[in-house]
Amino acid sequence: MAGSMHLSRLRRWFLASPPIEFAITNLKELLVGALRQGPIPQHVAFVMDGNRRFARSHGIETVEGHNLGFEALARILEVCYKSGVKVVTIYAFSIENFKRSKFEVDALMDMAKVKLSQMAQHGDLLDRYGAKVRVLGRLDLLKPDVLAAVNKAVDLTSRNGDRVLNICFPYTSRDEMTTAIRDTVEDYSTPLRPALSANGPARTPFSESHIAHNIRAQTLGSSRPQDTHSDSESTSAESSAQEDDAVLRNDHASRVYESGSSFSSSTTLHLGGQDGHHNKVAASGNTSDGDSPVYMSPETISRQILTDHMLTKGTPPLDMLVRTSGVERLSDFMLWQCHENTEIVFLDVLWPEFDLWHFLPVLLGWQRRISKSRQNPDAEGNFAGDTPETSEEDADNMVLRQTKVKAI
Amino acid sequence: MVSQTDREILRAEIRSRGDKLNAADRENLLKPYLPDPADLAPANSTSSTSPRRSRAGTSSSQRRQKPRRKPIRTFLKSQLYRLTYAITHIFFGIVVRLLQAYHAVVDRIFAIVYHHHRTPELIRKDVRGLKRLPEHLSVILTLHKEDDALAVLMDEVAELAAWSACAGIPQLSVYEKSGVLKSCIPALHQIISTKLASYFGTPSQQPSLQLFAPHHPIHGTAPNPKSDTPSLTLLLLSSTDGRETIVDLTKTLAEMSQNGKLSPEDITPELVDAEISEITTQPLQASGRGVSPLKPEPDLLLVFGPFLKLDGYPPWQIRLTEMYCTGDRNHGMTGYGEAVEYQGFMRGLWHYAGAQMRFGR
Repeated sequence: MAGSMHLSRLRRWFLASPPIEFAITNLKELLVGALRQGPIPQHVAFVMDGNRRFARSHGIETVEGHNLGFEALARILEVCYKSGVKVVTIYAFSIENFKRSKFEVDALMDMAKVKLSQMAQHGDLLDRYGAKVRVLGRLDLLKPDVLAAVNKAVDLTSRNGDRVLNICFPYTSRDEMTTAIRDTVEDYSTPLRPALSANGPARTPFSESHIAHNIRAQTLGSSRPQDTHSDSESTSAESSAQEDDAVLRNDHASRVYESGSSFSSSTTLHLGGQDGHHNKVAASGNTSDGDSPVYMSPETISRQILTDHMLTKGTPPLDMLVRTSGVERLSDFMLWQCHENTEIVFLDVLWPEFDLWHFLPVLLGWQRRISKSRQNPDAEGNFAGDTPETSEEDADNMVLRQTKVKAI
Repeated sequence: MVSQTDREILRAEIRSRGDKLNAADRENLLKPYLPDPADLAPANSTSSTSPRRSRAGTSSSQRRQKPRRKPIRTFLKSQLYRLTYAITHIFFGIVVRLLQAYHAVVDRIFAIVYHHHRTPELIRKDVRGLKRLPEHLSVILTLHKEDDALAVLMDEVAELAAWSACAGIPQLSVYEKSGVLKSCIPALHQIISTKLASYFGTPSQQPSLQLFAPHHPIHGTAPNPKSDTPSLTLLLLSSTDGRETIVDLTKTLAEMSQNGKLSPEDITPELVDAEISEITTQPLQASGRGVSPLKPEPDLLLVFGPFLKLDGYPPWQIRLTEMYCTGDRNHGMTGYGEAVEYQGFMRGLWHYAGAQMRFGR
């Protein structure tokens, strides 16, 4: 026991000696720079598991374990951002964690508050180097002082560059999904009328032909999404103006409806279509009546719309999810986001010990697979072959990065 | 990459809850580790719309000059990075190949040592020592691209059903992305019955089998509560039971809300959970066969593939599911995904038994 302690001390002294430290730093930098030459996941999520167990096994306080975990986070963020990862999402605190001892919860909250307010003090530095910090989760469950620190940090970093750090603070994925569903439902049950009448020209009151058209629409059903394109060409200028408006909003918030989805019946909205000369079925359920409120058709809800209501909206799809400490469960984290092409990695290392050396093989494996699947996209079980858009995007990024490197 | 001394300073600072150093001290401490502003300039210039461009605009001209000063050094650096990239990947590739070969050998040995020989007793013996067994096992299978892919897939499902029944796992769900299995439930039932007969022998000893998929009727015989033969419920899932189901639920809820039948505040995780779970349990309850309470959330998810990818598996149910991937064994040799083999199944069960169960992280 004593021998091993001496040995570890000797090792620590050896590693802390200036030449060795210098060499390790340079080696790490070299490796990170090398990683940047290949494809790099755009969005990585971490479950920082094992702080408590690390503390227990090393005989230190739980809070100390969390502090060391924060150091590990800083280390890994450095690696991620330097190697080109755009978005890092971390699971900092689950809603379930409120069930832990009050002492620990308070200490964690305190730590978050201190870190966030410290961040706020370095406004200038963050401006130049920092990533955007976003806090995802049920902020209403936080205490007011922590919430204030959160808001301040988010505000302060909102103008930063294209790197994003998502902190899932009181978060569970089921809660997120429920909130997304609720928000979508809320969006769809707000009458459309005011928003549209502000932009489009005044609409004529309902006509017989339109009511007949609607009845047809309801009976024929919404199962004809292909018709919409040819349809939209034949509509009057009025409705196309509205469509333009919709497209605009699609660009902005991209949640009015999804145009490219082949899965759900993404019918376009034809609210002002009072003209009787198009016989094809447009959208169902749009009773553009004079009095009763106008809603967007629920049939236009698609996976993309729900994705855009998730807390991670606007971020690239999750490429990789890493969970430390050997627990092979998602524990209510990123369920919606990781269920398709995400590579899920469970590492048998406690989070405070997590470093480039553990992360490197994972990244290398990912790069290997991506480059392989790019070489022969027909191979089964590949990764990027299923999502050609993202791989192309990656390729573009890579080209960009290479030109960047050359430019330097 | 922070040096030891600086780290100690920072740690001491954390212990005192951030009142030992002021902001300027911390910035000085950090400075040596931050990249040169010039390195960041090209990255920033892409996002010229950001509002702080106005401030940086004055110095941008001299920044653009800066990279010109040492082109050789940066060129060499990028070449060095590229070289390192190539070398690391060559080494990594060799290591991966060696590990694959090693695992393949181990796998073959396991396959010989642990072979089921189609005897339920042997399988039961293999799981006897385990601390716990999943009540609901879920498996992700992939449909290969060969001509007989469907036949192979159905045989795999049948084998898995037989092993599960032998091991005493009452519920098995099979996920296959395209949902091709759902279209041939009667044929699949036939194949599984034949397979079970080859394991268990006479029909009286066979476990009762119920086979169904969401929105499909149940196929099979109801379990007889009096008999002591094990029963197996087999659920077929496809990618439409994943996100698409949640989208469908949202559609229904939105319609209800538009008609004033529901207020958005009523949507709670409990409601969603009840609705989503019902899809997998509803057919059983509707037919009055809900003798055994069905678990909508699988305990263990086995992925027969080179790496862990959910591939569209229903997201809502896997909150606390343990996941196990059989790993990359023969990928390089046969060129396609993993075969479903008994030792992979067993390894998953062992792994599950050894795992530490902790709810809420």
